[in-house]
This record gives sequence, structure tokens and C-alpha cells, in this order.
Amino acid sequence: MKPLASETIEALAAAQGVPLAPGRAERLAPGVNALNVADPLRETLPFDVDPTSYLAARERAK
Amino acid sequence: MSEPATWSLAQARAALERRQLSAAELLASCRARIERWQPRLNAFVSTELRSPGAERGALAGIPLAHKDMFYRAGRVSNCGSQIRKGWIASQTAAVLERLDAAGAADIGTLNMAEFAYGPTGHNEHWGDCCNPWNPEHITGGSSSGSGAAVAARLVFGALGSDTGGSIRVPAAACGVTGLKTTWGRVSRHGAMPLSHSLDTIGPLARSAEDCALIFRAIAGHDARDPITAHAPVEADLGRRALKVAVSSDWIERNAHPEVATAVLAAARSFAAREVEAPEFDLLSAHCLTVMQAEASAQHAQWMRSRSQDYSSAVRVRLEAGYAIPAAQYLEALRLRTMWLERFMATTLADADLYLCPAVPVPIPTREETGPRGGAEMPRRLAEVTRLTRWVNYLGVPALVVPCGFDTRGLPIGLQLVARPFAEGALLAAGHAYQRETEWHRRAPAEFGDGARTG
Repeated sequence: MKPLASETIEALAAAQGVPLAPGRAERLAPGVNALNVADPLRETLPFDVDPTSYLAARERAK
Repeated sequence: MSEPATWSLAQARAALERRQLSAAELLASCRARIERWQPRLNAFVSTELRSPGAERGALAGIPLAHKDMFYRAGRVSNCGSQIRKGWIASQTAAVLERLDAAGAADIGTLNMAEFAYGPTGHNEHWGDCCNPWNPEHITGGSSSGSGAAVAARLVFGALGSDTGGSIRVPAAACGVTGLKTTWGRVSRHGAMPLSHSLDTIGPLARSAEDCALIFRAIAGHDARDPITAHAPVEADLGRRALKVAVSSDWIERNAHPEVATAVLAAARSFAAREVEAPEFDLLSAHCLTVMQAEASAQHAQWMRSRSQDYSSAVRVRLEAGYAIPAAQYLEALRLRTMWLERFMATTLADADLYLCPAVPVPIPTREETGPRGGAEMPRRLAEVTRLTRWVNYLGVPALVVPCGFDTRGLPIGLQLVARPFAEGALLAAGHAYQRETEWHRRAPAEFGDGARTG
């Protein structure tokens, strides 16, 4: 995925009712984009796994 | 006779059972120390006695205090914030109900990071909490008061919460023992939420044995927190033959030399076998994705109406969460299943526990990591939590115990990580280690009983 531009970050926050101070989006951008990591398991993630699948995995791992 | 407040919880419990002293005397000892040291540490928010303790129960008459985010009906829970300053809870947290039932005394509320959203112990609304080993250094957060109060022998134990390291970082920085429980092991009903997919509750105390006493009292299913499991609560400290894994090469390449030396010495005492290091940084990034998205959603109403009432540091963290795409957040949660399975199949394939530092660098100062920390401040904060967030993402339990001191006299913490619901194995390993070492008995020079001070 492509990194988010600071203008996009500013627009996303504003659209959710949280206006950012001038210059804040530029400051946030490196941290926000650093979370968008390349994960080697992403390509093999089964279609049928959803967030609640974790509870079953937790039980199996006991 | 040394001050009773300086004893371990287990020793105090035994003394009460033998009627060597009364619960009132034990409480008075703690209160005298709180009065003396609170101006120096700022560990307490309130010292109002709200539950006097009982004569019966596993924790009968033991004075405890807890992070100011566990609600008690009729009591103020400020949550380290300006926004909730003076807010009175209408319900009591499940964990406090369970500690009441075990007979523990609840003698006050403890300082914390604002809304538990900070790893250092800074708090511009309630004042920074200071590390008893050196007040210029951080206590770690967000359970800052819990770490400081236990280390300074003001109480025998304290509850904290851990979403990205908030029990383990203060335990490491303050030289106490801290247990981050499995996600779903301890009910969060009546506890302030930060990130519902990651939030956990656990004890900080002076030893694994003391943590086990509190853990047994608070763990177990609660219908009011539907993610809590029905898994049996076991904490047999006598368990032996636990296999420990370590990634010595990663520690030598990435941890500060003083931290690496102390942690690898501990690894040798466990006869740890070598495994490849987990993907700490990748899993930490997924953890932050989940934490920021959920925390920002939790705080959305206040961020729209009262953003000026947050500290600058917390407001910036919350603002970042509004830029995380929903698909990225949900994909991080979907990948969590696969990463837990990978952890079990690789890191713990032939081991019960995984060993690594709690904090891979020496504990920094408050100035280095605070608002005046300059351009290096974000990097220093990232170092502090580099080895804790991955555990929250996997949802597994971890125990931090002291394993040495750096050349400036600040504690170094060892972290043991286990499979889901294996808190008993963690506590047994911690107890075995603490029977062979003295690190956990050391108290900051001014705060000990004169016999075993650092």
C-alpha cells in the first residue's frame, strides 16, 4: 500500500470531526505510515479468517 | 524488627496468620511510609481507605492500592486525566470485587499515565511519578504509581493494566515483579478501557510468589467481560522442568551491553536453548495499528469536544489513530491468529517459555523522554517499548522480574513469555529464579529495611 500524504491524514481526521493544528499532519505522517508494514503472512492469510478467529486460536494454543 | 511494610506480601500474610501483628498495625506501617514518601514520589492520587480488608481470605488484611482506573462505586476515578477529574464511578470493577472477597484492604488510588496512554510515567495533569531508585528517571508507564509504590514498600502489591507494556515497563524500571496476564484471563469489567483487543489487567508486587497470590484472587471467567475464558486458574509455584528459549544473538546485537549482560546471565541460569527471535518490530507495528485505531475510537467524542483538555503528548497519539484505514486495522486483527500460531509453532515449539529483556536499554531520565526531550525523544520512547508490544499483539502472558542493575544503579528487568493461560508456568519459573537470586529483595537505599538495600 502507498504511504498516506499529510494532506490525506489531515482530511481523514477532519472528516471524523477532529481538525488538526497547522503542521500537525506532517508531524504525524511518518509514524502513521510506519505502521503500514510489509507482512510475510499477508499473502497466505486464509479468506475465512476474521478477527474473531483469534479466540479459537487462543484456545488451541493453551 | 524491620518495618512490617517492607516485608513481602507472603511474609506479611504469614505474620498475620500467626498473629505476630494485627491488620491494623500492618496498615499503620504502610500509611506511615506513604505519608513520609508521597511528597518525594507522587505515587498516590488518593489515600482514602475504601475497603478495610477482612479477617478471612487469601489476602486477609493485606494493604493494596491500585492504578486510578479501576472503578469503585462512589469513589473518584480520575484515570490520570483532566477530563475525568473528579468523576465518580457508579459500579465496582470485577477485580476489586474479587480482591475485596479475598479480604485485601484497598488503601488508595495510584498515579498513572493520562488514560493509560503513555509508557513513561509523565503526567502533566497530576504530576510525574518519580522512580524510587532515582527520581530523575522514569518509573515507566502507564502503571507508574503501581511500580513506584511497590518498589518503595508503600504497599504490598498493586494492580496495573497492560495494553502495550504498561505493567512490564514499570516493573522493569522500578525493580519489582509484574505479571501481564493472557488477554481474556482477568475480567476488565469496571476498568477504564484503552484498546479492547489488547487491554489486560495484572499485579505488580515484590516477587513472583506475591504476584501469584494476587493473580489467583483476580483471575477467572466473568460473564460481564465476555472475552474471559473458563480456563482453570493454576499457579503452582513448585512446578519444575520448564524449558526456556532465548535468542542470544538478537539480544547481543540489539540490547544495550549492560542489559544484554544481565539478561544473558539469567538465561544461562535457566539453561535456555537458542531459537530464532520473533518478529518483534513487525508485531509491534501491528500492535500499534490496533491500539491507535481502538484508542482513538474510544476517545472520539472527547476528541471532538474537549481536545484541549488532553495533554499534548496524548492528543497527538489520539490524532494519529484517525488516519489508520479500517482495512489496515482489521487486517492486523486477522493476521493476529496466524502470528499466534506461528509463535507456538516456532518460538515455543520446544519450549515452555521465551526469555528476553523487558526494556532493551537502560531506564532513561524523565527529561530525556518528556516534553523537553528534543528530537531524540520519539526514538527513546520507541526503545522503551520495543520488546513489550509484540506480547500484547499475540495476547499471551508475560512476567517481568528484576535481574540486575546498570552502572547508574537503575534496575534491569527480565521478561518471560508463555503460551496463552500459562501464567502458572511463568510464576513458577519466576519463583524458582528468585529463590536462587537476590535481585528482587533489593530496595532503593532510602526505602528498604536497612538489610537488603541497593
